[in-house]
Amino acid sequence: MLTVRGLTKSYATADGSFQALKGIDFEIPAGGFYTLLGESGCGKSTTLRCVAGLEEPDGGSISIGGEVVTDTARGLHAPAFERDIGLVFQSYAIWPHMDVFANVAYPLKVARPRLGAPEIKARVLEALRLVGMEDFAGRQATKLSGGQQQRVAFARALVRRPKLLLLDEPLSNLDAKLREQMRFELQELIRRTGVTTLYVTHDQSEALAMSDTVAVMSAGRIVQSGAPREVYGQPDNRTVAHFLGSANFLRGRVIEAGDGLATVVLAEGAVEIRVPSRVALSAGAAVDVIFRPEDVTTHLDPAGGAIECSVERVVFQGGMSEYQLRLGSTLLRTVVHPSVSAQPGDRAWIAIRPERCILFAAG
Amino acid sequence: MAVQAEPATAVPVARRRRRGQLGWVGGIAVTFAALAALYLVMAPLLALLSTAFRGPSDLLPFEPGAHWTVDNLLEVYLGTNLLSTVLPSTAIFVLGSVVVTFFTAFTLAWLVERTDLPWRTTIFTVILFPLLVPGIVMAFAWTLLFAPNAGWVNVALRALLGLEGNGPIDIFSMAGLILCQGIASVPFVFLLLGAAMRTMNPSLEEASSASGARPITTFFRVTLPVLRPGVLAPLILAILVALEQFEMPLIIGFPARINVFSTRLYFDLNPEDELPAYGKAAAVALLFLVAAIALLLVYNHLIRRAERFVTVTGKGYRPTRYALGRWRVPALAFVGFYLLVAALLPAVVLVWTSFAGGSNDVGLDAYRTLLADNRFWPAVRNTFVVAGLSAGLITLIGALLAWQILRLRFPGRAALDVVSFLSIGIPAVITGFAVMILHLTIPIGIYGTVWILVLAYSYRLAVSTRLSRAALIQIHPELEEASIASGGRWLDTIGRVVLPLLAPSLMASFLLLFIVGFREFTIPMILQSQDNWVLSVIMWKLQSDRQTAQAAAVGTMILLFVAPVIFVLRRQLLSRQGDA
Repeated sequence: MLTVRGLTKSYATADGSFQALKGIDFEIPAGGFYTLLGESGCGKSTTLRCVAGLEEPDGGSISIGGEVVTDTARGLHAPAFERDIGLVFQSYAIWPHMDVFANVAYPLKVARPRLGAPEIKARVLEALRLVGMEDFAGRQATKLSGGQQQRVAFARALVRRPKLLLLDEPLSNLDAKLREQMRFELQELIRRTGVTTLYVTHDQSEALAMSDTVAVMSAGRIVQSGAPREVYGQPDNRTVAHFLGSANFLRGRVIEAGDGLATVVLAEGAVEIRVPSRVALSAGAAVDVIFRPEDVTTHLDPAGGAIECSVERVVFQGGMSEYQLRLGSTLLRTVVHPSVSAQPGDRAWIAIRPERCILFAAG
Repeated sequence: MAVQAEPATAVPVARRRRRGQLGWVGGIAVTFAALAALYLVMAPLLALLSTAFRGPSDLLPFEPGAHWTVDNLLEVYLGTNLLSTVLPSTAIFVLGSVVVTFFTAFTLAWLVERTDLPWRTTIFTVILFPLLVPGIVMAFAWTLLFAPNAGWVNVALRALLGLEGNGPIDIFSMAGLILCQGIASVPFVFLLLGAAMRTMNPSLEEASSASGARPITTFFRVTLPVLRPGVLAPLILAILVALEQFEMPLIIGFPARINVFSTRLYFDLNPEDELPAYGKAAAVALLFLVAAIALLLVYNHLIRRAERFVTVTGKGYRPTRYALGRWRVPALAFVGFYLLVAALLPAVVLVWTSFAGGSNDVGLDAYRTLLADNRFWPAVRNTFVVAGLSAGLITLIGALLAWQILRLRFPGRAALDVVSFLSIGIPAVITGFAVMILHLTIPIGIYGTVWILVLAYSYRLAVSTRLSRAALIQIHPELEEASIASGGRWLDTIGRVVLPLLAPSLMASFLLLFIVGFREFTIPMILQSQDNWVLSVIMWKLQSDRQTAQAAAVGTMILLFVAPVIFVLRRQLLSRQGDA
């Protein structure tokens, strides 16, 4: 459905040039939900804007539904208004001088060949019904709440029944509670319309919850892509591990390795664990053992095989508590049921679930 | 390159090769705007520059027989009184009048915006009144009031004090010239200073009070420093405006034998019994053009800083007002005296003179003669046509320029930006002269018509680019991108999204430029022919032919037209600043 090949883009800056995209390749099958995830400045929005046709890439090609819309090798670049897309902006970009109906009708009104007024009306109302805003058709755009503006923006993006829906951080301007609700609504909306979707966000929980495929971007490249569970559970490198959820790092040394498992002795705590290993490691190699806070059980009493630490800080977060534990020179994060109460300075013992650990050669 | 990932449906579409978002309509529109800016602002200046370096002086720069030379410069700077007399009088005139303007405008603005002065709204309106009246009308009215022999005020003072002869006030002096110009420039500086005071964040002053500072300390240590960028920029602008003034120097300065830059340039172009000395006049203009552009660069630097200040503080503040207490009566007296001299007495003397000035009978004679004068109605039509057309033309061009400078990336963008604000610094007398040379050199058949006035007035592009730019900065680019991504072409995006959102500032720009064009005197004086007289020029002609009553009748009709406009303008100004 969407094919992006070898996308590159540089911007001139005050001190030379900045390469925003260093070769982006990906595909979205028809009906797929593909997410570009990364921190600001990683190139995710630039990629989306190139797909939309709002930016012209320096190199590479883009085709939407089989139509080549950009191919720098052949000097092709169709402007945004000729692409079969719907786009929702972070700011929603609802035109303040139009009412809700006029906002949603706009893509149909500027369409060539022209559409008849009855058809425009029918399709606008259908789009508004889809987002649950049919009662607001006559409302002035400036008199809408953030969530309502967002729904209007979706109706406007979908009213043309585009082949490709582009979403540029559409939830990031909403407050936390509404964001969660809109996430479900949005998923339901996209499932019902079956539109192919390219989603850009910096919020890993949105990315993990909504996508078929997540692509983690960093410094102008896609560093890893795959199904959310796969990327979360088996990050290819430290950047991905760090970016998706919080990760604890412990230094260690391989004692023996083979059959996809390695026995590692941790530098702090002098404990041996057997963890899965995707790379060939030889005995004596220095490694980083990475595990997530939820893969650790924290005890306030000594337990067999558990590593002794001291409690540095307890952060009560309502449904759970985050513990920051000191192990030698390393700070570890774990999550604990809020009923467990410890004070800074107390002793604690942690048991790591070895099968959830990931090994990287120490860098 | 493996592009066609879905070979079954792969149909390469991009029918034409690479096109930007503009399309050909947009391309033509922005190119037109850029070329128009170059033609309206840069072409006359280049004509002027080359004239300064071409001789002999009585030839046009590219007439056969003309050649490159520095004779004009040498002759004007070494052989005339330019440096010894004109430059010092110009400096005294400009600085003196700016001091008067600033002292008066700052006090008025502070009283109206920051104190509990009674009747503030009424006072605000009356202060604005002279803003719309052509300077030539004010100059004429003041000579009727303060002329040493028959001026009303002098006659009254002589009767009161039992004096004989002329005086005691002589308007035809440097002091008179400075005071008149100083007062004439007050409304416009008052507006700018008022806006700066209104947008000031009151918590800055409150923080000072809460730190234990007394009001007077707060005023000098917080209020003034915070206002500084908002005060310095109008100060430079006032200097630029004073530098280009021509009306007061012509009506008040000339009888007193005071020559400033603008009148000197005018008389070089219109010598009594010689041919116009283009080269020498251009050499004179050069000095003041350089000075004006230097001031403009300072101004531009300051305005950028002021903009940053305003962005930080935002809008919608309601500054606390100082209680005047026992200063209430002196404050009212100051305001009252100003309004009397700047608005009320001039209006009364004009109206009275129009009814009674010509003969001993009070009556409508002056109006009858005027309406029968076959120059009058064409002048009315010319005034409105030229002001309206040039205001419309540059509002449109200015908006397009601002849009492309902010939204597009193209080579020469920075240069176009400079051209778009340059006109703030170019004195009108120089523009009139430069446009004259340009169209004498490239005869396209509009010299002496109203069309050359439309082109010459239209050099004031900066007013419209500035306003549009400020409005465009407020419009999030995503609003335009949303239109493009919805399938809107350039015209759709501009026509359905950008223009509707810009409408209020386009209206303001049109109104402002219309008023400026309506008041214009310098440019139509320099470019005048019997086919393009406007009201202000006709009034000057009547006045210099000693047809005082008819001149006053023209002035009165201008006042009648201006009075309702004031109320429209006031609503615009107040609502724009969120203080209705």
